[in-house]
Amino acid sequence: MDHSQLGFDQNFSGAAGDFPSLLRRKGLLSPTVIGPMSQNATQQQVWQPTEATTILAFKFSGGVLVAGDRRATAGNTVVYDRADKVLEIDRHSIMAIAGVPATAWEMARVLEHSLQYFRRTQLQEMSVDGKVRSLSKLLRDNFGFVMQGVGVVVPIFATYDGNSKPEARLYFYDAMGAQFEATDYAATGSGSPAVRGILYYENNWGPKPLHKLSEEDAVSIALRALDTAAESDTATAGVDRSGKIYPVIKIVSREGITTLPESKIAAVFKEMVA
Amino acid sequence: MIEEPYRWVEAIANRREYIEGQLAPGSPIAALGYRDGILFLTLGQTRQKLFEIYDRIAMGAIGHPGDIERLRMAAIELASTEGFTRSAADVSLRRLVHYSLSPVMKSAFEQVYGPPYLTRMLFAEVGARPEDDLFLRVEYDGEIASNGATHARARQDFAVLSGTRQSGELMEASLKTGHTPVASFESAVQAALDAWSVGHMLLQVTDAKELPERAAIAQHRREQLARAAIEAAVLERDTSNAIRYRSLSDKELRSLISD
Repeated sequence: MDHSQLGFDQNFSGAAGDFPSLLRRKGLLSPTVIGPMSQNATQQQVWQPTEATTILAFKFSGGVLVAGDRRATAGNTVVYDRADKVLEIDRHSIMAIAGVPATAWEMARVLEHSLQYFRRTQLQEMSVDGKVRSLSKLLRDNFGFVMQGVGVVVPIFATYDGNSKPEARLYFYDAMGAQFEATDYAATGSGSPAVRGILYYENNWGPKPLHKLSEEDAVSIALRALDTAAESDTATAGVDRSGKIYPVIKIVSREGITTLPESKIAAVFKEMVA
Repeated sequence: MIEEPYRWVEAIANRREYIEGQLAPGSPIAALGYRDGILFLTLGQTRQKLFEIYDRIAMGAIGHPGDIERLRMAAIELASTEGFTRSAADVSLRRLVHYSLSPVMKSAFEQVYGPPYLTRMLFAEVGARPEDDLFLRVEYDGEIASNGATHARARQDFAVLSGTRQSGELMEASLKTGHTPVASFESAVQAALDAWSVGHMLLQVTDAKELPERAAIAQHRREQLARAAIEAAVLERDTSNAIRYRSLSDKELRSLISD
């Protein structure tokens, strides 16, 4: 009798522990085919960067701070003003997303489940390098959609490596899945040029380099940077003063992830930014 | 031949006897619902016997490592795909065991030309309150025993797994008197260690009807603790983390044990 009809696959491949391939086997995740571009696609149709948002991350004295504004847009329409683009993947890892929300959230969900699946099946935590590589592979698998102009995602990945050498680690990616380790800071999304300017300036000529900042100073720089990005980029909300909507700010440290309460962000905003 | 009904029954009976013999020396596992979660505890010699299945589900098993591994992997795959496509709240131990594992184990057991699963498993799912905790024990033939109330006995806030029926029954008797669902973590650990000791002592005895003397249990427990490592895990009731499973180190537990 064919057991697979009864509920599960007898020909399991326990050693692999790869959740995306399990999902594909069950038809729950789209295949990784990078299809040829349409023959008559014009240059404009081929690829348009649509990562309309701003996310940033930098290392400070208490770990890595990751911040994202709350605006979601479609073309030049604001769709949602309470989007959460800073997503917890596990107890020590954050993925912040810029790009097409449907793809980005799905990717975060696959990554989150992949890491759990790995831990449960293989009975050990995935290494930081393994996690970084998993996200890279998801981006790579998604590249067919990027080429079709419908699914570009450019994330930042922040984590705390408790194993080999205890330290905060920060990575950013391009849409094809190349990973870059950032020494001090990273920013992606349409508002990132302004943010990178500010972080570069602060890191080199500010009162203190970024990695020596206290939590309060770090939060205030994150808020100022997002507000500056919002000044010229319509896809970035910065701080909504009338609606009292603040960016999402999370901190990754040895102890895990802390989500800063809105009241705390509001207090820093009132004192240092507004 | 096997096609004749009588031969089939005989073949199944032989197979049952063989599997029971193989499982008989298995080190017992006790699972106890207490105030802040569910505790799984056993004294291990070499192999890991307690596993995380999903956010709120854990498993303990005795038997052949290859068979345990296949079923463990199947359970994780099923729970993970369900949790991914729907949500973690839709992953249910009852469905996992009743609709997927049990039918597969039953048919493997009854296909007398194919290999059966040589394992006995204990699953638990932590609930919001101790009354909501679910324990399911799955036999090699797909038989399921739950901790729910039946006409013969009240609901139990614990479940056990052992190599022999008699050892398991007396472990339950030990927990019936020695454990309450409102117990603290420390007293749950004590009750679990006592139950394990009872179960382990009675694996060698063929016709015990009653619990051993308290002193004998305590002595056996001391001897075994000096020899073997404690393997334990909890499913926490605390809802602040989605993932409730946490394995406990031997060192962590030794400091709690009084004697």
